[in-house]
Amino acid sequence: MRNFFRKFFNKLLRRDKKLKIGLYGHPNSGKTTLANTMANDWLGKPIGLVSNVPHETRSVYRQERVSIQQDGVELDFDIIDTPGIATKVDYKNFLEYGLSEEEAKGRAKEATKGIIEAIKWLDDVTGVLLVMDSSIDPLTQANITIIGNLEARNIPFVIVANKIDMEEANPDRIISVFPQHTVVPISALRGENTGELYMSMVRKFK
Amino acid sequence: MEGLKLDFLSSTALESLTSMEKISMIVDRVKNGELMVIEGGLSPEEEAELIETTMREIDVEEFVGIDIFTLEKDQRSFFGLSKKKTVGLTVIGPANIMRAVKKKSNFLSMIAEFGDSGASVH
Repeated sequence: MRNFFRKFFNKLLRRDKKLKIGLYGHPNSGKTTLANTMANDWLGKPIGLVSNVPHETRSVYRQERVSIQQDGVELDFDIIDTPGIATKVDYKNFLEYGLSEEEAKGRAKEATKGIIEAIKWLDDVTGVLLVMDSSIDPLTQANITIIGNLEARNIPFVIVANKIDMEEANPDRIISVFPQHTVVPISALRGENTGELYMSMVRKFK
Repeated sequence: MEGLKLDFLSSTALESLTSMEKISMIVDRVKNGELMVIEGGLSPEEEAELIETTMREIDVEEFVGIDIFTLEKDQRSFFGLSKKKTVGLTVIGPANIMRAVKKKSNFLSMIAEFGDSGASVH
């Protein structure tokens, strides 16, 4: 495994431009779980809090300067973990998770600001991991809007079909809906198939 | 029974508007409880701007956001060798009204519900 990551870094080290990988997707698709898995693999520590309540990440979190030094070369590698993008935010959804009405309303307000921030960050990322929950219908307006904007801005991206550990997961549905794009099924929670994801990132972002 | 106002706009009607004018018009009408059916679609940049504007306008009590659905149609290239999808119609409405939609290629089905039906996170 260590050799694999060394090879992965070596491929990245050949880059001479700063790489900023944005994690985009719906609320609760597992972006922060994936960011933590990546940070654990590359830095040995997680970077963000996760929970089952949607919109847990309500502002952009940037793990800056993942400085990798090897053979005298340094790479500044940033992970940009963004709030989930949605077209609607209803505080009543948060009540189901045991939040008080005041907490739920506060969370909803913060979530709307987070979505705006995530969209603004599309101007700055150099590559994107579009994280989708394999257990739900991927053909949503948020996913269509994100993909449309990535294509319009010529930002390379990989679709991550996450949560394949769930019984109702159907990553083939994502592959069939987006046949023209690279789709990698993984479980960020269990670290399943993340090696394949990293190789796809190298191929797509190099 | 409370009524639902549907506005149908041709692509010609939208051509004369700037992106900002289009988005302002859509958000104003949807906030007012209206459902808009637009011939064609918005550009990806306009869609992103529409989401941003919607987020700024969300009021936790009265307006929880929008739902957008598109009806796509197959369009053949000049020589008929390749096929690509284009947006035929775009439906935009208040998220707390547009509750259930079934979408297939060349088919869109939706239900508008009145009352405090809530909106899912997506």
